[in-house]
Amino acid sequence: MTVPAPSALPAVPSPGRTRRRRHRDAPVAWVLLAPALAGIVAFLALPILVVAWLSLTRWNLLAPPTFVGPDNWVRVLTEPTFGHSMLVTVLFVAMVIPTQTGLGLLMAVLLSRGLPGSAFFRVVYVVPWICAPLALGVVWKWIFAPYGGALNALLGTSVEWLTSPALALPAVAAVSIWSQVGYVTLFFLAGLAAIPGQLLEAAALDGAGAWQTFWRIKLPLLGPTTFFVLVTGVIASFQAFDHIYALTPDGGPQGATDVIAARIYLDAFGSGAFDLGRAAVMALCLFAVLVVVTVLQQRFFARRVTYDLS
Amino acid sequence: MTSPDTRGRRRREALRPASLLAYLVLAVGAVLTLAPFLLSFLTALKTPRQFASQSPLAWPDPVTGENFAELFGGGGFVSPVVVTAQVVVVVVVGQLVFSIMAAYAFAWLRFPGRDGLFWLFLATLMVPQVVTVVPLYTMFSAVGLSNTFWALVLPFVLGSPYAVFLLREYFRGIPADLLDAARIDGAGTWTILWRVVVPLARPIVATLVIITVVTHWNNFLWPLIITTGPTWQTVTVATAALQGQHDSNWTLVMAATTVAIAPLLVVFAVFQRHIVSSISLTGFR
Repeated sequence: MTVPAPSALPAVPSPGRTRRRRHRDAPVAWVLLAPALAGIVAFLALPILVVAWLSLTRWNLLAPPTFVGPDNWVRVLTEPTFGHSMLVTVLFVAMVIPTQTGLGLLMAVLLSRGLPGSAFFRVVYVVPWICAPLALGVVWKWIFAPYGGALNALLGTSVEWLTSPALALPAVAAVSIWSQVGYVTLFFLAGLAAIPGQLLEAAALDGAGAWQTFWRIKLPLLGPTTFFVLVTGVIASFQAFDHIYALTPDGGPQGATDVIAARIYLDAFGSGAFDLGRAAVMALCLFAVLVVVTVLQQRFFARRVTYDLS
Repeated sequence: MTSPDTRGRRRREALRPASLLAYLVLAVGAVLTLAPFLLSFLTALKTPRQFASQSPLAWPDPVTGENFAELFGGGGFVSPVVVTAQVVVVVVVGQLVFSIMAAYAFAWLRFPGRDGLFWLFLATLMVPQVVTVVPLYTMFSAVGLSNTFWALVLPFVLGSPYAVFLLREYFRGIPADLLDAARIDGAGTWTILWRVVVPLARPIVATLVIITVVTHWNNFLWPLIITTGPTWQTVTVATAALQGQHDSNWTLVMAATTVAIAPLLVVFAVFQRHIVSSISLTGFR
């Protein structure tokens, strides 16, 4: 999910057109818009209303739904499961985001030296990004397997990576990082390429070394890129599901990998409980968190986190 | 073209200690990135007996296709591949056609309420799939469409707000003179859209085709929820199900992940330059 900054939405000018012109276009416009509009209303807007209704309803898909008011909300917010899932999700995000951002920046800086072969490495790093997270999760489930798994064979150990409460979440986070570093690298590469050459030449003339140039010039100028990478990364990681489901389908040992998206799925469909009301409440809470992150992003962009180079 | 001079300088540059260290880090990164793919593919080429008796890191000896034969035979993997391919084709065509139509209306037509409506489109970009799957499931069940082909394609086939946004931005960049010239020549909206605008927007259309193919080949959560039983299973759902049934039959399971991953690796190999440049251009998620 990527939300464009408001600046990316240019106002469409309507200079000196007559009212007649406006109305002549209208029927054609509505015909052209009809399918996409129907899709958005039916499959993106209406579900928000339905999920709000579900959150006030008790329904297990078999008996008819009954209205229970704030019951589900009280249950979710007072029982420990939801708090635990939120905590696990925040821990997951806290492991994934700094690591993938740091590694992505490192790889981008190394690639931006323009050494021969850089183009090859750049392409290689993106490969996991385009593959199905579910399939990659299954591959890593084998790699992590205590017996017959590649990692333990390599290390000569038989560690229970995915069934130990202490190791499961870091293992799941590592797979996430592994699949996303290349994506982050691409954005930092683009950011580095946008730094004007004369700025770096001027720094070199003033006797700045590579280290100083990085900390004093490149890193500050990468501010907007870093911010974009952080925000989109946080939003995506809060929703992470596919590879976590593949690695630990039941929420992990003692719920160690029971992230919020997995909990929503398990409560609604996974455990046979079909507790749609609970799932709806948690989905709305997750939505609220993501909206707050997005609004903060917009605010921040509106204040323009860029350095004026002109 | 790099001149011999720069090439010589770059070669000298490449041999400095700092550069060698950079190469070392880059190479370690590449090995870590590719090793899981290579190892899983090699495992898929082993006999279960070799896998059980030797190190999981051993080279396949003999190389066998029996896992793939079992996967497409008893494993029932033909249907998921066909279903997924159909879903991808229908969604790509529908989403592109309907998004192009909407984007053109937003970019070049004037009608009351246009800007407010465009903001509504942008606002729906914020709605995550995890939030909509539960209500969508109840909606599709209520009208008796769960576990059908329609359920797999309907939520996506009518266009995507993301595609509409990207296309509109691109369409706005097309010179108005070109459209006016076509209009003076007597072309109607439909002709202008498909004969003038879309050919000029070929790069962004190609990008969107690739994004949509990747997204829907890989899609998992919605097909997992809305399908039951093998009839409409997609490749990702079938892979997850197979892994659940054959927990330690890793040679068969790795054949399944190979089938789930390989088609996109081919797409990536063919279009890698285009994909890499469009990721940083569009944010592609």
